[in-house]
Parts: sequence; C-alpha cells; structure tokens
Amino acid sequence: MEIKVNLEERTEKAIELGSKLGIDEVEAYAVWNKVFTVRMANNIILESKGVLDIGMGIRVVHREGIGFSATADLSDEGIRKALENALNSAKNRKLPFKYSLPEPTTPKKVEGTFDPKVANLPEDEAVELAYKMVEAALEYDKKVRDNSGELDIIVYHVHVRNSKGVNVSDHGTKIEASLNTIAKSGVEESEGFKAKGFRMLKNFNPEDIGVKAAELAVKSLGGEKIEPAEYTVILSPSTSTTIATYPVFLVSPYFMKTYSPLFEGKLGETVAHEKFTVLEDPTWPGLWGSCSIDDEGVATRRIPVIENGVLKNYVYDSFYASMEGKQSTGSGFRTGFVVGVGIFPGKNYVLEPLPYAVNPVLLPGDWKRDEVLQETKEGVLLERFHYTRLTNPTRGDFTSVLRFGVFKIKNGEIVGAYKKSRLVDNLLNILKNVDAIADDLDIGGSWGDYAAAPTIRISKARIIPAE
Amino acid sequence: MEDLAEFVVNFASKLGATYADIRIEEHYDENIEVMNGVPEKHVIIRKKGAGIRVLADGAWGFQSTTDLTREGLKKATEIAFKVAKASSKHLKEPVKLAPIKVAKDHVKVKVEKDIEDMSAEEKIGCCIEWDKTMKVSEEVKRTSTNFSCVKVNKLFASSEGALIRFENHVLWVFINSFAKRNDLIQSYSWIEGGSGGFELLEKVNMHKLAEKVGKKSVELLDAEAAPKMEKVYAVMESDYVALLVHEIVGHPSEADRVLEREAAWAGTTWWKGLEGQKIGSDLLTVYDDPTVEGTLGFYLYDDEGTPARRKVLIENGVLKERMHSRETAAIFGVEPNAGMRAITYEFIPLIRMSNTFIAKGDWKRDEIIEETKRGVYVIGMKQPSIDDKRYNWTISAQEGYLIENGELTKHLRDVALMAIAPEFFKSIDAVGDDLEIRSVPGCGKGTPMQGLYVGNGGPTIRGIVNVLGV
Repeated sequence: MEIKVNLEERTEKAIELGSKLGIDEVEAYAVWNKVFTVRMANNIILESKGVLDIGMGIRVVHREGIGFSATADLSDEGIRKALENALNSAKNRKLPFKYSLPEPTTPKKVEGTFDPKVANLPEDEAVELAYKMVEAALEYDKKVRDNSGELDIIVYHVHVRNSKGVNVSDHGTKIEASLNTIAKSGVEESEGFKAKGFRMLKNFNPEDIGVKAAELAVKSLGGEKIEPAEYTVILSPSTSTTIATYPVFLVSPYFMKTYSPLFEGKLGETVAHEKFTVLEDPTWPGLWGSCSIDDEGVATRRIPVIENGVLKNYVYDSFYASMEGKQSTGSGFRTGFVVGVGIFPGKNYVLEPLPYAVNPVLLPGDWKRDEVLQETKEGVLLERFHYTRLTNPTRGDFTSVLRFGVFKIKNGEIVGAYKKSRLVDNLLNILKNVDAIADDLDIGGSWGDYAAAPTIRISKARIIPAE
Repeated sequence: MEDLAEFVVNFASKLGATYADIRIEEHYDENIEVMNGVPEKHVIIRKKGAGIRVLADGAWGFQSTTDLTREGLKKATEIAFKVAKASSKHLKEPVKLAPIKVAKDHVKVKVEKDIEDMSAEEKIGCCIEWDKTMKVSEEVKRTSTNFSCVKVNKLFASSEGALIRFENHVLWVFINSFAKRNDLIQSYSWIEGGSGGFELLEKVNMHKLAEKVGKKSVELLDAEAAPKMEKVYAVMESDYVALLVHEIVGHPSEADRVLEREAAWAGTTWWKGLEGQKIGSDLLTVYDDPTVEGTLGFYLYDDEGTPARRKVLIENGVLKERMHSRETAAIFGVEPNAGMRAITYEFIPLIRMSNTFIAKGDWKRDEIIEETKRGVYVIGMKQPSIDDKRYNWTISAQEGYLIENGELTKHLRDVALMAIAPEFFKSIDAVGDDLEIRSVPGCGKGTPMQGLYVGNGGPTIRGIVNVLGV
C-alpha cells in the first residue's frame, strides 16, 4: 500500500511555520513506515496484517525550554497545531542547562541497509515465503508436529531537518523471521527455535530457519533434569547476543537513571574478561540496527562500550550530552516504550530521542566454535533464552528461562539434553567469567531486538531445574 | 465517521469478505517525564486512523491506514482482502466466529478533569512537585516521575451491523527513587492510575505517596539482604499479588496461548486440557472483569464488539474459563467473553487481560501475619521472569520483612520469590479481605509488540515459595 507524502517538503514546511511562530529552534522528524506481518501457528497461517504509519515528531527549543509534539496529520494545519503544542510545552519545561538542537554532521553511507527487493515484495509472496519456514520444519523430521512464528517485512523512510541546518534522509528495509517448532516422540515433547533479523532479501533463507528450528527441537527430546549447580556454560550466538546487548543497553545515561545504575561511574574500570570487547556500531554494514544517521540526523559512529574488559564509553544523544557536558555520539534514537505505542519495528515519530544503542556487536575472538566445545570437559551448551530479566537491576541479578536447547557436554562432546532449566546468576559475574570467545559472529536476539555475537564460554554460572 | 465505517464494511462484503470490521480511532496521548526535579520529557501525540479486518475464504487479513478518505479506506480494504485470500491457501479449517449479540451503543468513561483541559503548566508542575517530594534526604540520589495519559475516541463497526463508540480516558503515574550509601544502591517505585481524569491522582494524594517512596528507598539501605529460604510461607500484599496473578493466571488463561498460537515468543500454558479440574486450593478464585469502573482494564465492549462480562477463570481452585476471541470461543464451543483488544488502530486485536484479580477471602491481613510462624512478607511488584508455560516463576518485590512467630521482624531488601505454579496454587491457605485492583500499564504481547494497560490485583494472600538469597 502506497501513500505519497513528500517527507522532505513537509519538514521544510514545519521549519518555515516554526519560524513564523517565532520559535527559536525547530526540529522536524518525518517518517513513512510500512510493516507487513505474517503470523503462523498450528502449522497454518493465522493472520496476515499490514501497518502503514506516517507522521511527524516536532521538537522545539524556545527561551531555555524544550517541547515536543507528534502528529499523524501532515497537512499545514496539522503541523501548525503540533508546533503550537510543542511551543506550549517548551514554555513550561525550562531546562537548568543550556540546550541547542544538533549541528549538521557528515554522515557516511552504511552499506546493506536498504533492499528494493524487500521494499517491493508483494504481500502474497511474503505469505508464501513465511510458509516455507513451516514446510521446511515439517519435512525435516516426522517428529516435528507443530510450528508457530512470524515473518515481518519492514520498510521505512525518514527525513530529519532542523533550523540549525541538519537536513538529511535515511531509508531502510528489515526482515524479521522466527519459527518455534514442537517435536514429539512418544510422551516426550520438546521445542526448537530460530529467529533472525536481516536487511536484504538475499540473506533470508526461510528453509534454513525452518530446518534449524526443527533440528533443535528434535535434538532437545529426551532431556534429563539438570542438577542445581555452577556449570561451565557455552552460549551460541542465539544466546550470547543477549549477553552482548545488556551492557550496551545499560550504558545509556537515560537507562542508568531510570532502570539500572550498574555501569554508572565505572568508566575506566574492568567490568568484563580481558578478551571481551563489545561495541555499539550502527556503521557496521548490514546488521539489524545499521544506519548512517541517528534519529536527530547526527552521523552514527563506532563506539567501543567495553574494550578488552574495560568500560570505555557511554552513548549520548544531544540532550543528555548537553546535560553532562559531552558530545553526542550519534546515539539519539526514538525508541523505548510509551503506552499508546507498540514496540514498533520501523521508525517511531511519536517519541523524543533518547540515548540508545541500536546495534550491539560482540567482537569475535580467535577460538573456533568446535575448539570451545572440545576444550570443555564438563559443561552445558545453551541455545535459547526466554524471558530474560535483571530481577534486581541495581545489583545486576540476572535470570533467564532455558526453555529448551540445553545440552550436556562431556569430554568435549554433546552427550545429551537437559529439560527446561533456569540460569540464575549476576550479569557482572557472567561478563567477568567469559573465558573463551569464538570467531563465528552471527545474528541472534529476540522479539524485535537483534545483535551480533559469536559463541562464548562462561567459566561458571549457576543453573537450576525449572520443571 | 459512521458513514466511512459503513462504507468500508459494505465494500469488504462486495469484495467477497464473509465478515469485516473497522475501528476508526482518534488519539490524544500525553507523556511527561521528570527526573531529579527537571522535566526531561513532555510528549503530546495526536493521531487518527483506521484498522480494517476482513475474513475471506476463511482466513484473516488486516490493514491499517491513516488515510481516512474513501479512496484511502478502499485501498486498505482491498489489501486486507488480498492478504486474507493469500493466507487462506495455508489453512486447515476456515475460521468460524461464535455468534454474539450485535450491539449499537455509546460508552463514555466518566472524567471530571480531562487531561486536554489542563494547562501544561499544571500537569508538568504536579509531576515536578511529586518528583521533588521523593528527595527526602541527601541519600536519595535520583528520582523519576513518569506520567502517561491515553485518550481515545473509538468507533467500531462490523458487517454484522455493530456500531459502538467508546470514549476512553486512562492515565497513570510511575514514581521511582534511588538511594545510595557507599556502594549499596536501593530503589523503590510505585504506580497509581486508572480510567478517568486527573482527579484519580488527586484522590490518592500523590504528595504523600511520593514522600513514602522516597523514604522507603532510604530505609532499604538499612535493611538486611534477603536470606535464601526454601519452602517457606510468603505473605504477599496486593501490589505484589497484582504482578503474580498477571503472570501466572492472566497470561496462561488466554485461549490463544492454550491453543499454542503464541508459542514462538510469549509461550503456551501448562494447564492446557485441564478445564474443570482442580489446580489450586479451595481458597483460590480468580476473575477477569472489564466492567469494573475506574480501573485501567475497564471497557464494556471489546474490539470485536462483544459485550463484556466478568469471567470466572478459577473458582475455588477449579479451572473454569479462558479469555476468548470469537474465533477461539468457536473452537472451544463456548460463548465469546470479550477478550479481544488492540492498543491502537494500527494493530489487529489480540486476546488480552482486562482486570484480572484474585477474589477476596475473609482473613484480615494482620491475622495472616500473626498466624505465620516463619516466612516473609513481600510488598510491591518489581521484575518477573516466567517460563513459557507459566509454570516456573520468579518475581522480585520492592521490599520484604522476615516473619518470625507471627511478627514482622527484620526489614529485607533484594527479595525475589520463586515457585512452581501448581504447587504454589495448592499451597494457598489464607486469602485476605483487602482486595485492591492495581494498575499494570506495560503488558506486552504480539508481534509487532502491543504494550497494553490492564488492571491486576487481589487481596493479601499466603502460599509456599522459595526465597532466592542474595
């Protein structure tokens, strides 16, 4: 479905109208989003659904105040009303520090973020691609009984303009594919899962997703109950990406204030194993969060968050940078959660920018994945995290349900599976106890949030049974 | 709007849809965030659009649009129809809808103080005042106050002739205080809200509540770390029970989870096929009731136009009823019970909780504590981590107290409880008479994720758990 809106022209109009209203500084962030989702369950297509979302977020700076308003009405009148709302807000939202909208920067093109084949993919073809995941899983093994999952096709265009000269566009495509497979053998039942986020159609192989999910489900059958203890734990990219994402997420000054101060005031301190280096790097080509500009129109850059185990940098948008006397790191993104808004996989015009990491990358090490397994006398391999939380965000107490894909390792070989278990440890301990990093960088993650990481090994982490 | 709605459902029928519905919605949403007394965010969102759902060849198709011209709605309907047809190639059985009483109605939430009628100065000023009030000592290092309001004017129409307008106005505020002494950091937070206007927050005396939250965060610096305890009594107050019942009764009662339709991300449920069986103690009765006025989960018709009523999920320990859509009701052979909601016009409705709560019993809270020789008393919801079948659960609390010989003794910090759902349900042996429905504004479900506001609660209850030690 197409609706023609000239985002560039509409942002220009917003700046012009803002000037007429006498507003000191205006920023217009215009978005065109299309999201098409095919949802599957019980081996059928459950529903196919599309969202077309167009709108503008307007931020104003006026007389030491700042205001924001968003509108889906991009007529002159709609924009004027949004400007007035934002101005009214700014008059009542005075800042105790000097803030000014970002200056223009020079963004560099980031490859592999837009694919016309994804943007122009007909909906009925997307339905067929989605169902190929189910077919591949069913064909893999007769023990595979049930499949559920999603395929999301996302296309976005944005234009950011401000009265200080920022005037930049970006566009992107994304494919999110996931399949959960249930396998049965007699009274035994287990599950498998594969989820990945892509930017280009050529990288998406639906059969591969189906086969990987089915393989994991079949291999997870017949598991034994795990004994509660500390184990040497190997995390595949499907789970190590979660470990990579947490510290990168938590170095936002906003989340340090509102959620977890785990890394606050620790710049320069050793917080992880000496081989552990994790980046926030939107300039990395072709990953889920790759982009050339942030949602304030500032050029993105590679930010080492933890380098060789030492906490190096926090991420900043222009607002938090001004508050703390720093420079923006090109990390002003309009994400997070406001009720009335879904966690939208496209671009979100209804939110103000926050300092936010969008593309965590845990750098690969020099081990081969097979070596990591072979060099583990006794341990556990984890392929799926479910409902991961910091149960105590101030201390970093960390838990995740190990729903399936929990494998027993003995003398360097996988010798069986465990039943559903739970990892109960502390994030800081886990980071410090990483003792091997492989070179098999891959994409993993969950529920619309993907990162890149290789297989890693944790020398000890506590696992308890969950059944 | 009525003529546009009628146009769409008629057009869908002409295309060949066996059923169609449309939600045309106008939103005014507002969010204010104050940190350390500084108003860091103030967002006003105005948006209007339509979500069109059609059933064609037995399959669902959906398309949303912000183009509310006849041409725009026609295009969106055509796409919904086309994708339904494409989906129908991979069906086993065509979707059937259980019949409902088709309604024409207008429901409007009572609002004394409409958020749009208040000045920005007043709203932001209140948030700053509450935020500053939490700073009760130098040890309070950080405070945050997050206020949200969602105001929706929604028109639902269906090809069966339903025409329902719902004017809703909900709001809530989340306040949070971090205190620090040396290396020890403790936080305390609280949520208040409901359906209605700003008067809801004036009635609860937010100033007093903010002062309490600030003081609690400081008091926790002197509290003892929770000890590891196995198979002990936990006495849980209403706010903790709200999150507990949300996670281990509400979600697994959603019929789409029972049918394993949410298996990929959210999960399934351990009590599939156990309808009519005893799964908990006689004292455990749980309702899901959208008709409770003033709560975040209030509505009288769901987003399929089904008239709302109280659902009895568990009655005296026996598993009775699920939350249903018209489609799942047809599959289970029961009457639809109005469980379908979407967060905005952009999304297709899903089966969601409304107000899910444990029914009150006849114990006094103090009696429950007095009758407990050894255990913990936990207050306030914090973070959950629940397994995919809602079987094994861990939920942390804002604070706790050790119970020794019927008395609250040591104040405890960093308290997290863990248990297995069926064992826990069976262990419930005391239910208080102090029922409260609390506000839970961030319930996540669906792909793309829809974050919805619901009500959850219960009275003080007692059951057997493990306490995760620090």
